Parts: sequence; structure tokens; C-alpha cells
Amino acid sequence: MSNEKSSPKKLLPFWPHYILSELIAWYIMFGILLALAALVPMGLEEKANPLETPAHVKPEWYFLAVYQFLKVAAVFNFLGPEAPRLLGVFLPMLGLVALMFLPFLDRGKKRTARERPLMLLMTALVLIIVIGLTLWGQYS
Amino acid sequence: MKATQSPSWARIPNAIFGWFDERIGLTGMITALLHMEIPRSAHTYYLGGITMFFFMVQAATGILLSLYYQPTPEAAYDSILFIMNELNFGWLVRSVHAWGANLMIVFCILHMLRIIVQGAYKKPREVTWMVGMGLLFITLGFGFTGYLLPWDQRAYWATTVGTEIAAAVPFIGRNILEFLRGGADVSALTLSRFLGVHMLIMPASLIAFLTLHIIIIHKQGLADPKAREDE
Repeated sequence: MSNEKSSPKKLLPFWPHYILSELIAWYIMFGILLALAALVPMGLEEKANPLETPAHVKPEWYFLAVYQFLKVAAVFNFLGPEAPRLLGVFLPMLGLVALMFLPFLDRGKKRTARERPLMLLMTALVLIIVIGLTLWGQYS
Repeated sequence: MKATQSPSWARIPNAIFGWFDERIGLTGMITALLHMEIPRSAHTYYLGGITMFFFMVQAATGILLSLYYQPTPEAAYDSILFIMNELNFGWLVRSVHAWGANLMIVFCILHMLRIIVQGAYKKPREVTWMVGMGLLFITLGFGFTGYLLPWDQRAYWATTVGTEIAAAVPFIGRNILEFLRGGADVSALTLSRFLGVHMLIMPASLIAFLTLHIIIIHKQGLADPKAREDE
């Protein structure tokens, strides 16, 4: 274990030092949560009516990127009639599988952000695409 | 010595602790859990812990909501109206549950980004990373299944289009969609299975994954971002 090798000066006791700051973070978060819930209470629309589709139907924000990508995938039409649906589902899925197996894809030993510019660049790129798709889905 | 001894009733907590400690070794467990040391340079920004905190808030508020929620298409909407308008602080509990769900997802993603930037998923922490990805998927599943429960227009149609994403999968898409909905359309059966998944399957699997996640972290210690290579 690394702890035994490092010098004691570089280590901080988990209890009570780390736990205390963790609890302070929780306390602040609880305040933010209560403030948000009190100032912007969750609303309720009309009772569900399966016969009446509302004008702007969207999934929750955390599925919007995938939803919007599925719509945008229509551009793959030149690859064949089935291509948009196939690619629209499989590309995001492939991305998630790649993320799941990230430790096996990125086997470099370097750990600090400064020494891994390519990884940071790719992370930023994926983030921009996902946020862009989400905003696009939200405002279209 | 006898003069400074505390009164006999004040020794009761210690005696109870001692009774258990002697039999099941409490001291060892507490030492293993709390007395670890973490690298000073390991800035975790408390993101994982905050995500766990939101889960605890979700569990508490979710249990409170379940006491008054009625899971049928006829009664669900009215029971939410009752919670919001009649029940003391019902509106607050429901709002905290809804906001907490969104914040839990936000902090889960921030935690993941922190791990990526600091390269903390690398050897020997591959298993922690994959368990963490499982936790992210479970958290998203919580959001997806919980969204339908109020049974208002937004809930109904968001679930309709959400399950339609699954229908785009070639060959078995239709089967996945019918499995998710319990039929061709979002109906009473969808509500039942979403509630079951939301209140039984998701919490059980999240607690199991989270326990594993934390046990491994305790076993390995936090990644030191200043350490340039594997320790």
C-alpha cells in the first residue's frame, strides 16, 4: 500500500480531518438543496392524457443528448435507409461501452492532467458535443 | 483514584460498548473504517461523498413520499396533489426529492469527470471505475423510472419518447420497448413496473454497488494525483 511508503507529512488522517470537511460540504449542499426546493418548487402539469400529445415532448435533460443524436442521425441516410436508426443507437452505446472500459483503453502510466494533454482534449471534445446536443435538444 | 471516578450511571455507555466490543470486535471495525490516511494532495472536491449524501436525502424523502403515493393511473395524480396541497411540508419533501434527483446526477457526472482529469481510474483502480460506471447507470435508471410516477402530462410523454429511444435498436427494439412498457403503450402496467424498479431493484442494487465501491476505496486508499505513476 502506498500509505506505508509515503512520508507522514504528506498524509492527512481520514478521521476526523477529512470527515469534518466532508460534513461541511454536505451541510452546504443541504442548504442549496432546501433553497432550490423552496424557491423553485416542483410543479405539476395536467393529469396524463394518452390521447392528447403536448406540443413539445422531451425526455429528461440527462437523456436529451442521446435523444437529439438519434434525431440528428438522419444525416447518415446516404449510407442506406437503415443507417440513421442503426448508427443513432449504436454510436452512443459504443461511447458508453468505451467509457466503461476506459481504464483498459487508456493504459498509459502517466496520471497527472498536465502529462496527458490528449486525454484532456478528448474529454473536452466529448463534453462539448454532449452539452451541445443537450442544448440543441432543449431549444429545438 | 476513587474520588475522581465518575458516577456509576456515566459508565453505562462504555460498559455497553465494552460488552459488544468483547464479542464482535467493534474497535477493529471502527479502526478499519475511520483510521486510514489520505494523501494531502488528493483533492477530491468531496464530489463522490456529496453524491452519496444526495442518495441518502433521496432515500429519506422517497420513503416519506411512498407513505402517501398511490401507484395507479387513476389515483397517482391525485395523491401527488394531496401531497403538495394538503400534507404538511409535502410540497417541500416532493421538491427536495425532485431537486435532489437532478443534483445527484450532476454530482455523479462531476465526480466522474474529476476521476478522468486526475487519471484516478488507472491501475490498480479499474474495478472501482467500473463499479462507479454501474452506479452512474443505476442513478440514471432512478431518474428515468421516477419521472413517470407523478402521472402528469410531462411524466407520461417523457416516458413515451424515452422508451421510444429503445425501440430504435435493430431487430429487438420493439421487444425492449414492450418489456419496458409492459405492453404497446405507457399504461397502468408501466406505472407498476417503474415503481417496482424505482423502489426495490434500484435502491438494492445501488446500495450493493456503493458498498463495493467504498470497500475497494478503503482497501486501496485514495489515488495521489501528485504521484506521477502507479504506486
